[in-house]
Amino acid sequence: MSADPLQALASAGKGENTRSLLRFIILALIAGAAIASRLFSVIRFESIIHEFDPWFNFRATKYLVANGFYNFWDWFDDRTWHPLGRVTGGTLYPGLMVTSGIIYHALRALAIPVDIRNICVLLAPAFSGLTAIAAYLLTNEMTPNSSAGLLAALFMGIAPGYISRSVAGSYDNEAIAIFLLVFTFYLWIKALKQGSMLWGALCALFYGYMVASWGGYAFITCLLPLHAFVLICMGRYSTRLYVSYTTWYALGTLASMQIPFVGFLPVKTSEHMPALGIFGFLQLLAFLDYIRSAIPGRQFQTFLWLFAGGTFGLGLLGLVLATSAGVIAPWGGRFYSLWDTSYAKIHIPIIASVSEHQPTAWPAFFFDLNMLIWLFPVGVYLCFQELADEHVFIVVYALFGSYFAGVMVRLMLTLTPVVCVAAAIAVSTLLDTYLSAKSPSPPPAHAADGGEGAGKKAAKAGLKSTTKPVVGIYGLWGKGMMVGAMAVYLLLFVLHCTWVTSNAYSSPSVVLASKMPDGSQHIIDDYREAYQWLRQNTREDAKIMSWWDYGYQIGGMADRPTLVDNNTWNNTHIATVGKAMSSSEEVSYPIMRQHEVDYVLVVFGGLLGYSGDDINKFLWMVRIAEGIWPDEVSERAFFTPRGEYRVDGEATDAMKNSLMYKMSYYNYNNLFPPGQAMDRMRNARLPEVGPTLSTIEEAFTSENWIIRIYKVKDLDNLGRDHMSAAAFDRGSKKKKAAKKRGPRQLRVD
Amino acid sequence: MRWLPAFLSAALLAAPSLAAKKSAEERFTAFHTKSLSSTPVKLRDNTYRELTGAPRDYTAAVLLTAMDARFGCQLCREFQPEWDLLSRSWTNGDKAGESRLVFGTLDFSDGRDVFMSLGLQTAPILLLFPPTVGPHAAASPEPIRYDFTNGPQTAEQIHSWVARHLADRPHPPIKRPFNWMRWISTFVVLSGGLTASFVAWPYVLPVIQSRSVWAAITLISILLFTSGHMFNHIRNVPYVAGDGRGGVSYFASGFQNQYGLETQIVAAIYGVLALSGISLAIKVPRMTDPRAQGIAIFAWGGILFLVYSFLLSVFRGKNAGYPFSLPPFM
Repeated sequence: MSADPLQALASAGKGENTRSLLRFIILALIAGAAIASRLFSVIRFESIIHEFDPWFNFRATKYLVANGFYNFWDWFDDRTWHPLGRVTGGTLYPGLMVTSGIIYHALRALAIPVDIRNICVLLAPAFSGLTAIAAYLLTNEMTPNSSAGLLAALFMGIAPGYISRSVAGSYDNEAIAIFLLVFTFYLWIKALKQGSMLWGALCALFYGYMVASWGGYAFITCLLPLHAFVLICMGRYSTRLYVSYTTWYALGTLASMQIPFVGFLPVKTSEHMPALGIFGFLQLLAFLDYIRSAIPGRQFQTFLWLFAGGTFGLGLLGLVLATSAGVIAPWGGRFYSLWDTSYAKIHIPIIASVSEHQPTAWPAFFFDLNMLIWLFPVGVYLCFQELADEHVFIVVYALFGSYFAGVMVRLMLTLTPVVCVAAAIAVSTLLDTYLSAKSPSPPPAHAADGGEGAGKKAAKAGLKSTTKPVVGIYGLWGKGMMVGAMAVYLLLFVLHCTWVTSNAYSSPSVVLASKMPDGSQHIIDDYREAYQWLRQNTREDAKIMSWWDYGYQIGGMADRPTLVDNNTWNNTHIATVGKAMSSSEEVSYPIMRQHEVDYVLVVFGGLLGYSGDDINKFLWMVRIAEGIWPDEVSERAFFTPRGEYRVDGEATDAMKNSLMYKMSYYNYNNLFPPGQAMDRMRNARLPEVGPTLSTIEEAFTSENWIIRIYKVKDLDNLGRDHMSAAAFDRGSKKKKAAKKRGPRQLRVD
Repeated sequence: MRWLPAFLSAALLAAPSLAAKKSAEERFTAFHTKSLSSTPVKLRDNTYRELTGAPRDYTAAVLLTAMDARFGCQLCREFQPEWDLLSRSWTNGDKAGESRLVFGTLDFSDGRDVFMSLGLQTAPILLLFPPTVGPHAAASPEPIRYDFTNGPQTAEQIHSWVARHLADRPHPPIKRPFNWMRWISTFVVLSGGLTASFVAWPYVLPVIQSRSVWAAITLISILLFTSGHMFNHIRNVPYVAGDGRGGVSYFASGFQNQYGLETQIVAAIYGVLALSGISLAIKVPRMTDPRAQGIAIFAWGGILFLVYSFLLSVFRGKNAGYPFSLPPFM
């Protein structure tokens, strides 16, 4: 009697139609939750583009919308990398901008006028909803159980590892790339399972879209051939594999070559060679497979396999030879540094200097994935149970994804999808086991023997632990305990994700927030204040010199030409700026004159205790400059004899005379009583007499001194050099004061 | 026969004074011929003074080193073969002496006085004496000093440093000798490995094809990577560190820091959690005895709960503001 409402509830979910409807509603809710949890920054601050790179993407999107696609494609930007300029149309991944451009025009066609900025701000959350759906589809290919798919969609929607790069306002390539990554993988699995050319072609289409969007496409380019290779090694070559792989490779490579930035790289560089090699190897295998079916005979087969292995080895040798002969470009620095982890530090300091390229410490994994991090191995282990072709994919992806995420913080992003899928498989298996209402009846003693015999057969192929058949859970309390515990863990996960998103990943970093003593929020808006000053008080073509981190923001917010920016394509030019910053004024002034610099912008965190300032980045400037001019800049000179990096009275002469130091601390001691000037970031007491500047003059300092802007002086109109002119100005005042007073006389009356 | 040693010593004593009177051109020719037979030229106190004497129209690169085992100069011994290689390939590439560069080595045991007069406390030090007269004459006769602050340098690095100071002169490239030993040993190891694998193939095959082995390898590598092993590898973090009170601190303070042991503890925690998850998902539902199954659920579920609670408390130690916890490690 009491079971009636329960049964009614259970039967309501029985019908196939009801189930599909429920699934649809749940998925829609998950997508909604994914979008909603990314809106913290819009609600707290405003609809604003975040950080650095998004400002360039935003600027490029505005250009695209204003000038049309073909002008965008041929865009030569003379307002960056002055005086070199940048062939922007040919050196960017256009997928992101084109996507927002299409959305913008589609909405206008529907007579919904939305500002392009709002489209850019909200693009990442919208695509995260799609990513959740793609994760659902991918997981459904792994297990017949659609609850695993729903769980995967939920995990994908709120896992901080993905939210970190897709909150509202983080208008970066990753915003759409992760959706494309997951969806391409789904299409690949679909194509592989069915051996279908149509799905293969769709996979290639989305792969092309991915190539157009993000440099991380190389992850797909390497993972799919690796999956195919592992399948071949396991003796699972099939015509399904042949059809899906060759379709994907041929069409996908052609599609990727349409992007000017990629061009002929897919046939010329090493990171694309595995895909090409497996393509050739598959042709050979298909040929041998055909011969084998035509001519039986065991010895002939052995010969054939040896022949295949030999050809593979020869191909590899040829690849090595072609690389050493220079026909094929060796691995690009960024990719190579993933394998040889000390490579970047020695050879490409500009890559090593980026904080996203640092290795990942364990707290970062837990922070970004919470309980998924330990459910992940469980899910991978469950994949070994059946180990069909698609499960091999999960295993391979899991291994490589976790390696790359360990080497580089940024690649946590590519690991997150597989973690979500694997963890969802684990959780759904657990829940299915412990949530089923049926309890088995205790077996008679002899039943166990029969089960064992059947298990022996399965043991050959499967895991040791799955030899026995599944019986189920007997005790109701056991079920209750486990389900209760799982509910607690899941609830904790949701709380964790919300907390992390709200606290760590929702700050625009253009606007800083701090707490006042009474707990209310105080907004520090120095960046925008300074960029607005530049926009309103300088000439339209005034060149701004700053460290490359701020190039995109100056271009996007202040709309002024810059010397270097976050697209670090020219190391020498960056080193020139580094040299100007780290040398004395006598050396820097000619450099700045030669590059027609009008203003210099530095970021200083000493007053506020802001850690991301230029003095903290200074050593990288020195290092990068030293890489090009080892005779003129030396990192050693910036350390005291005891090997300390100091900014106070004991700083080295090179440090005290460097332009960066002078610009950071110029006039700073006037804020404090004499002799009490403190750098709150580095906890250093500064010398009583501050630095003097003669070739540049202070133009603007923002409210909290975070941004300081200096104007480069024109040539002296009396033809003196600036040092003597400044010395004359200072010296003459002193002399005059002395003259006025005259010699002191003792009056005797 | 008694006069012979006396005569010899007299001749030796006279040699530097005679040499000093030689013209710069003659000295260069003398040292260059010497270096053609054996380079770098092994210097002593007197020959060092002769080589670096004031009017010179050539460049001299002198390595001041301390090779004797008594001084325990690891850097000197590591750099010596590179230095020999550099001077040998430079001299062989420039037999005519067009670059006007002489390589010399002065060991501490041969030139104590020079070390004293230069006031040197460390070795090795590389001095490059620019010419004082002639077409390449430098403004200052003082030698340019190369400090080995960044550990042992390769011959190529020194080559580029020397070449930078010898503008518009020929720079013979470095020719590394073909490393026969390495190629032969690689070949032997490779063929040995191939033979061994051929012999052991029937025994190895079932292991390679075992799904459990692959599952174990996969899980262990995943646990290693996700517990920050690569960070340790790249940053060379210490294994453990003292806490300043004589004890050992297992967990580094700060979100971006970790110790070697710490990652192993975390990997073990993840391993235990994953193992209990696997047991609960796969092993427990296959148990036929209700009583044993009940105990297993209770045990694995309890372990899972306790260890997860411990993991959260460890994480709170790393990230002070983290608000969530589970009993009993609140």
